[in-house]
Amino acid sequence: MAHDEHAAPTVPTHQEIASDIMAKFQNINQSYWRWVSLLAVLFAAGVVGFVIKLMAGFDDRSEWGYYVATLSFLASTFLAMPVISAGLRLAKANWRRPLTRLTENMAITGVLIWFMLIPALIALPDTEGRLSVWFDFPHWMSFRGGNLMVWGTVVLIGLFLLWTLALPDLAAVRDHMPKSPRGKVARVLSLGWTGNTRQWRVLHSGVLLFGAFYLLLYPTLQTLLQADFQAGLLPGMKDAIAPATALINALQGAVAMTLVVMFIMRRFGGYERYFGIDQFWALSKPLLAFSLLWFYFWWGSFITFWYGRQPGETALIQFLILDSYRIPLIFSFLFNFIGPLVALVWNPVRRSIWGPTIVGVGVLFGALINHIRWYVAPFSVLDPPEGKDWPHVATLMSFEDAIPAGQLPGIADVLIIVGGIAGAFLLFMLINKIIPVVSMWEVGEGLRLVKVRRYLARYAMVIAKSH
Amino acid sequence: MATQIKSQSLTDRSESFKWSMVIDLDRCTGCEACVIACQAENNVPVNESSAFTEGRAIEWIRVERYWEGEWPDIKARFIPVLCQHCENAPCEPVCPVYATYHNNDGLNVQIYNRCVGTRYCGNNCPYHARSFNYWEPVWPVDLRHQLNPDVTVRSRGVMEKCSMCVQRIRRNTRSKTPRQVPDGSFDPACVQACPTSAMTFGNLNDPESKVSKLQNDERSYHMFEHLGTAPTVMYLKQVDTHGA
Amino acid sequence: MYYRRTLTEAQINQQLLGTVLTTPLWWIVLVSLLGIVIAGVVGVVAWMFNQGLGVTGLRQPVFWGFFITNFIFWVGISHAGVMISAILRLSQAEWRRPMVRAAETMTVFALMASLTMPLVHAGRPWRIFYWVFPYDWARGIWPDVRSPLVWDPIAITTYLTSSMLFVYTALIPDLAIIRDRSTGWRKSVYGVLSLGWHGNPRQWKLQGFAGILLSALILPVFVSVHSIVSWDFSVSLVPSWHVTIFAPYFVIGAVHSGVSAVVTLMIIMRKLYKLENFIWEEHIDALARLLIVVAMAWMFLFWLDLVFALWLKEEQEITVWMLRMFEPPWSWLFFLFFMFSFVIPVPLWMFRRVRRSFTWMLWTSLIVNIGMFLERFLIIVPALMRKGPQTFTYATYRPSPVEFTIIFGTIALVCFFLLVFSKFFPLIPLWEIKEGQLLIDEVKVGNARVPALVKEH
Repeated sequence: MAHDEHAAPTVPTHQEIASDIMAKFQNINQSYWRWVSLLAVLFAAGVVGFVIKLMAGFDDRSEWGYYVATLSFLASTFLAMPVISAGLRLAKANWRRPLTRLTENMAITGVLIWFMLIPALIALPDTEGRLSVWFDFPHWMSFRGGNLMVWGTVVLIGLFLLWTLALPDLAAVRDHMPKSPRGKVARVLSLGWTGNTRQWRVLHSGVLLFGAFYLLLYPTLQTLLQADFQAGLLPGMKDAIAPATALINALQGAVAMTLVVMFIMRRFGGYERYFGIDQFWALSKPLLAFSLLWFYFWWGSFITFWYGRQPGETALIQFLILDSYRIPLIFSFLFNFIGPLVALVWNPVRRSIWGPTIVGVGVLFGALINHIRWYVAPFSVLDPPEGKDWPHVATLMSFEDAIPAGQLPGIADVLIIVGGIAGAFLLFMLINKIIPVVSMWEVGEGLRLVKVRRYLARYAMVIAKSH
Repeated sequence: MATQIKSQSLTDRSESFKWSMVIDLDRCTGCEACVIACQAENNVPVNESSAFTEGRAIEWIRVERYWEGEWPDIKARFIPVLCQHCENAPCEPVCPVYATYHNNDGLNVQIYNRCVGTRYCGNNCPYHARSFNYWEPVWPVDLRHQLNPDVTVRSRGVMEKCSMCVQRIRRNTRSKTPRQVPDGSFDPACVQACPTSAMTFGNLNDPESKVSKLQNDERSYHMFEHLGTAPTVMYLKQVDTHGA
Repeated sequence: MYYRRTLTEAQINQQLLGTVLTTPLWWIVLVSLLGIVIAGVVGVVAWMFNQGLGVTGLRQPVFWGFFITNFIFWVGISHAGVMISAILRLSQAEWRRPMVRAAETMTVFALMASLTMPLVHAGRPWRIFYWVFPYDWARGIWPDVRSPLVWDPIAITTYLTSSMLFVYTALIPDLAIIRDRSTGWRKSVYGVLSLGWHGNPRQWKLQGFAGILLSALILPVFVSVHSIVSWDFSVSLVPSWHVTIFAPYFVIGAVHSGVSAVVTLMIIMRKLYKLENFIWEEHIDALARLLIVVAMAWMFLFWLDLVFALWLKEEQEITVWMLRMFEPPWSWLFFLFFMFSFVIPVPLWMFRRVRRSFTWMLWTSLIVNIGMFLERFLIIVPALMRKGPQTFTYATYRPSPVEFTIIFGTIALVCFFLLVFSKFFPLIPLWEIKEGQLLIDEVKVGNARVPALVKEH
């Protein structure tokens, strides 16, 4: 909501906002169908790539490295977005109101992600004789069942969180378009919401409960990703900070994705009055903070290995940092750290629409490259020879003559990356026409708490803080 | 068989020394003559029994004794442990004042007058080879004349460890090229004192020296090789004639 | 939040400047007592320098013990200052106002106390002094920047300098108030210190800008200081030290410890200086909720540390953890640490009644810091006791009375500094409180009147 300092700023009423958002929600125009078709085509291409991989089978694990990298990128960007909304809600930041529904709608991508997890788990070798957090639990089932359960719970809780927070808006849709198919769906989903005090109390309790669980379980998901798909396949890889690094990078990706999606909604969806300078400026600060933390967490891991100088550690540094995957690391360094630092340090860049968006695009690109480095590398490590256990305190060279070289993507890999991202966006676009992408009730609530007052020589926004 | 030690980066190995030691555990009887000799040569303080119980004993070389097996098949295993003069010494990069560094003779040296006593090097040494002077060392009056004038007498607050009798090395190699120093012409005090000749000392850069020839011995190994410290000191495994 | 208790400017001035303009008897007694204790401890330190570190419990192979634990502990406590003044300022949390100065000064004095520890624990502390002043340029030997022990003083002195700048810039408006109310030499001293502050718009603008700039600049320092201290351990080869998680783990632990220390400080301050009008239940409630979030993050990192320590199934790593968790007396200390740092306080803080009770918050914040001291101790000493597989070298560390005395001395030192500081400078920033009151408003939402804040735009 833009302000002109010389005139009294106007605060729209919540009825105005509600009708505006509802109008955008109702209107499914050509532009929308063009986007959906494009994404569907790209997703289909991704499915083709996936089928090619299926035909290659699961014997050669290195075929699945890029697939797992895509899966991890999706889980780390899209599924981290509800964490952003939960965190901002916890901090009671008023500027969050227009963008929370956008981040929560992203929880729908969890459905695609969970199904994508299944082949990834098949591609992993059994934990017998191998390092794992499952500590000799029944081998074939433990990590497969455990992962499916944890990821599934995260996805489900994300969906419940989304549903709970969407109830008032679903009721509005039900009331506004009762005859249309979407209205009928909304009637079922809105669970008879009428907006009385008891229902609001239940909503807030539900948000607290689901939000807290999501905040607790999402780091667990990242821990399992790092432990099972990365560290467990790299001999001698003992990196306690890796799950925390993955979490911080996921949050960076989520903030970047939020910025990029807000920009797209402004440009193509006409949502300029909701995703304004306040939102971009406010999100640019966590983006800068997470970019600095990107380097900080990476350094913590690197410096420990570097000083340790044990053969296993030096081999891993050669593999992941200095030699085989040096190029991806340089790209991530530039796009996830140097670029954001140099750009976002300047307030004029932060306080603009373009600045944080461009940085966000760079961050997403760098994040994808980083996930490729994290997961293609371990998947390209060979199995130990027959009869030998996976070595614990050994080096990559224990059962190979040399450190594996960097693995470039094949056609199928590229199709999977493009298709995976397109599939996630496709689901997002579809859900936006079931649940409005801007939360009418939250923005409305915010507007009710805001008044404009004359303050000394100017005007100020007075924001009520309720407990 | 131990992995080969990386050779020094100097182009002509015959131009420099690389001091090394080989300890044959099959010959070691655990008599600790090496410990006494080292103490006498290097002005190491006299350790009363309280020094051992309090953990303040200063030993540049110590003999560790482990019991193996049950009565009546008990074996005592001895291993003399001294500073391994690691090529990749973990004690070196952590000293804030450069009191310990690797010199051109392949030795890890300790400079007492630079040491401020932070004891990080002691923490980082996996061989527990370093000793700290918790007290001001005091010798009984009669023993003060026995102090070696070639070796610094350390005060309290300073770290110390085996120097491979660097004073003897200096004395015997001053103004000489490696070719002019025959193998075995001098030894550190511990090697000299050992009654069973379990210890051998020499220049690894000389392919004819005893230590060089022992590098490929089938019993040879380095202590804690997996840590990547690349120790220069090599051990020869004890041979058990009556089973393992 | 603030709407129910609005004080006039005169009342604020009188109540907050009371300690500066008058000297209560309890202050004289307490400062004298602490002064005597500190003098005694200085004597003990001098004796230790004279005799050697043999008077401590340190021994082969436990080269680091209580002193380094105390060093890390005080650096940890110092993180409260930045958390509260910089981060809460940047996120515009109104409830920070009464706490900022006390937290920042506690940071400064905690850092000073922490800096005494590396000096005292070194074998030849006088040599450290002569190593630095004057530095021996002639031999071309620089400090070894590969060593974390060189990074430590750089980081800590940077943090100390920036914190002192932070305290000073925030003090300037209040110094002007004192200047205007004093006479004689006091007036000239405060006059010089207040740098000609007259409260005109340009000066206020600079003040605001300086606050935000310093807050933003001090944030990277805040994260890096305790990380650098943690890398003292990470870059070594000692089992259970050589882990990658230490940097964020130590920083979060420091925030946990530091914010708890601020809670303790605020409650004691409130009692001693009769600051009931300024420190309310809302403040400790907000601090407790912050502590819950921090403690949860800390627990996540603790579990990562434990799980990945056992991950490679390295024998020595397992030996150290078995010692920590299952062998008495270390197991008792571990149990106490876990209970005090997390299991007792955090569930208690979930209850509103506990969060709003000064007594409960005082005790829970105190036990958190006891637990965190034990945590640092349990990281350092058991690892050294079981550093390698050579059981011949295994030993036990028992701190000596000298070490206990010196640790206690640092606590007395920080309390002494804080008390002396409060004599010359108000512990609660007057201008922050006044600014806070200006920003209070009320909004009518339906039939309810909701307290509101004026937000900067």
